[in-house]
Amino acid sequence: MHPLESAVSLRDLVKTFGSFRAVDGISLEIPRGIIFGLIGPNGAGKTTTIRMILDILRPDSGEVRVFGLPSGKQVKDKTGYLPEERGLYRKTKVLEMLEYQGAIRGASPAQARREAAGWLDRLDLGDWKSRKVEDLSKGMQQKVQFIGAILGKPELLILDEPFSGLDPVNQDVFKDLMLELNRGGASIIFSTHQMETAERLCKQIALINRGRVVLEGPLHQVKARFGKNSVLVEFDGDASFLQTLPGVARVDDYGGYREVRLQNGADPQAVLRAAVERVIVRRFEIVEPTLHNIFIEQVGGQTHHA
Amino acid sequence: MHKLLMVIRREYLERIRKRSFWLGTLLLPLLMVGLVVVQLLLADVETGKQRKVALVDGTGRLAATFMSKLGEEKNKDGASSYSVEVVPVKGSVEETRGALEPRILSGDLYGVITAGDDVDATSNFRFYARSVGNVFALKALQRALRESVVGLRLEKSHLDVGAEELKKLLAPVEMESFEVKEQGQAKKRGFDEAYFGTFAFVMVLYMALLLYGVAVMRGILEEKSNRIMEVLLGSLTPDELMTGKILGIGLVGLTQMAIYIASVALLRLYVGVAALQAGWTGALDTISPSKMAYFCIFFLLGYFLYTSMFAAVGAVCNSEQEAQNLQSPLVMCLVVPMVMTFFFVANPDSPAAVVASLIPLFAPMVMFMRIMILTPPFWQIALSILLLIVTIYFFFRGVGRIFRIGVLMYGKRPTVPEILKWARG
Repeated sequence: MHPLESAVSLRDLVKTFGSFRAVDGISLEIPRGIIFGLIGPNGAGKTTTIRMILDILRPDSGEVRVFGLPSGKQVKDKTGYLPEERGLYRKTKVLEMLEYQGAIRGASPAQARREAAGWLDRLDLGDWKSRKVEDLSKGMQQKVQFIGAILGKPELLILDEPFSGLDPVNQDVFKDLMLELNRGGASIIFSTHQMETAERLCKQIALINRGRVVLEGPLHQVKARFGKNSVLVEFDGDASFLQTLPGVARVDDYGGYREVRLQNGADPQAVLRAAVERVIVRRFEIVEPTLHNIFIEQVGGQTHHA
Repeated sequence: MHKLLMVIRREYLERIRKRSFWLGTLLLPLLMVGLVVVQLLLADVETGKQRKVALVDGTGRLAATFMSKLGEEKNKDGASSYSVEVVPVKGSVEETRGALEPRILSGDLYGVITAGDDVDATSNFRFYARSVGNVFALKALQRALRESVVGLRLEKSHLDVGAEELKKLLAPVEMESFEVKEQGQAKKRGFDEAYFGTFAFVMVLYMALLLYGVAVMRGILEEKSNRIMEVLLGSLTPDELMTGKILGIGLVGLTQMAIYIASVALLRLYVGVAALQAGWTGALDTISPSKMAYFCIFFLLGYFLYTSMFAAVGAVCNSEQEAQNLQSPLVMCLVVPMVMTFFFVANPDSPAAVVASLIPLFAPMVMFMRIMILTPPFWQIALSILLLIVTIYFFFRGVGRIFRIGVLMYGKRPTVPEILKWARG
């Protein structure tokens, strides 16, 4: 893809802390206008990469471009950032807090105030505008933080683990907002280690492990690369036989059902036949592997031994 | 520029809106004025009542002069401040005094003065009281005693001196001190006046530098522990954040100084006339406009110098306990010139004072002290300010680098050599 069409373009990005290589040569093209998933285990280098995109950290080597511009001051104005470690001034009033966040992204205080008030009303926090942040519940504070990140209609929105610690109601609120902003034209980088959420929201992903890109591309392509060689089985009876069948690579137990990964060329029908002989099969489905499984397969072994 | 202004705006408004700021700002001058007023009132009440002193006179010849001399001590309404009870010696002087002790303890007697029979002997005269801390009372008693004893001594030496002559002979030799600033402009000024005036301002300077330095450090620590730092750095450069914070809080300090100086100016307006009439020009000189201007200049320079270092401490630490150790050298740098005020005021032109006033870490306080006492050569003031500005420039650059790395570091605090390595970049 041509860099000009990219929201973010990273070239051979390297960042070391002492002897630890947090980011070890990452190159990525993140297209405009989509929700892009930056996924990987904890400590993979996602946050460090994001910090370099925003010029919070300077790379040891390599290049960052955002909308074709070198990372720096202009980029910060176009970007809304919700870090994983996020907080608010506890003693400040909610509206003042947001006014400040809007103002340091380039708006006038009055402008920022107006916009923030609108969002607060929309997210049912209208009555809390002139209360101190510390009076708010945790869920309300999370909403305020989210509003802080999206003030000024940023062209690029970077959300680092936005759903961690959210209750299901707020998760939905945030998800809907993300989709709405995306439809409005915002490019969104969404960093997470929750594969299910990434799978539901992201059009394109990059899987990062140990400071390197392990896997990247549109979600459907990534999945296709792993083939339709997974089988979903739901049954009553003892399941230990599955592991012993020829052609089975691995079995994941989800409690209610099991996902069976087959070796290349193995025949799903053979699995079905074997299962029917031993247990009562209630459901049998040939599926694409879940992102979760791809993730485990790509990084599971390594991280456990790391 | 807009962002920097927004940071300054927040830091300024946040603090100026706090009740504690106004309490501190208005209370300090009120407290100072209040203390003086209360002391004067108390002194008034104390001097208002008559004190009874007993005289146990082993010579048997002091009483008359002593009583008449002490009778000259009058309080404001013209009544005698002291009454004297002459206690005849029974047995020895010491025994007689011992018998009076209960009356001292009961408060009936303010004190007892004893005189042995030999007026030339050492430690012949003594004063016994529950409290001997009142300097004015001691001086008055001593004066009266001195005149009566000297009279006795003269008589003993067979010199016939009349009361009037005796008074002349005993008149104290007083030396008035004058300060030479410009030719023909010598001003009457005592050391006490110069010292206390200067000390008051140096104290304010010291407290302001320390308080606002710590305020910057706390602000940064708060942003780190609240985890708001990274949110802010998503929109601001570390330099904008640090500079905005230092300027914003500095503006709060200036506001406070402006309020103080305005109250001093008002005081000058109201007290000025009275002070001139009393020939008390030294105090007015202490608060002259040029000195107030220097006060603001050295406050600002000192503020930038010290807050940049306090900001670095805040950036590399995670808690105030951790910061405590690291900030103590900074506090020491501020304390040393303050406790040496007496020396610098007494010797404003000594090589030590000149050198200290050129070393940037001490310059804000020491140069200001020297300016308060005498007018140092202009080149020294200029050099001192220049060195400060250069140091501040390099400190800001180094601290900016420390800040950039430090603010996102949680966990173990870096060692001092590590911090210095960051500063060199």
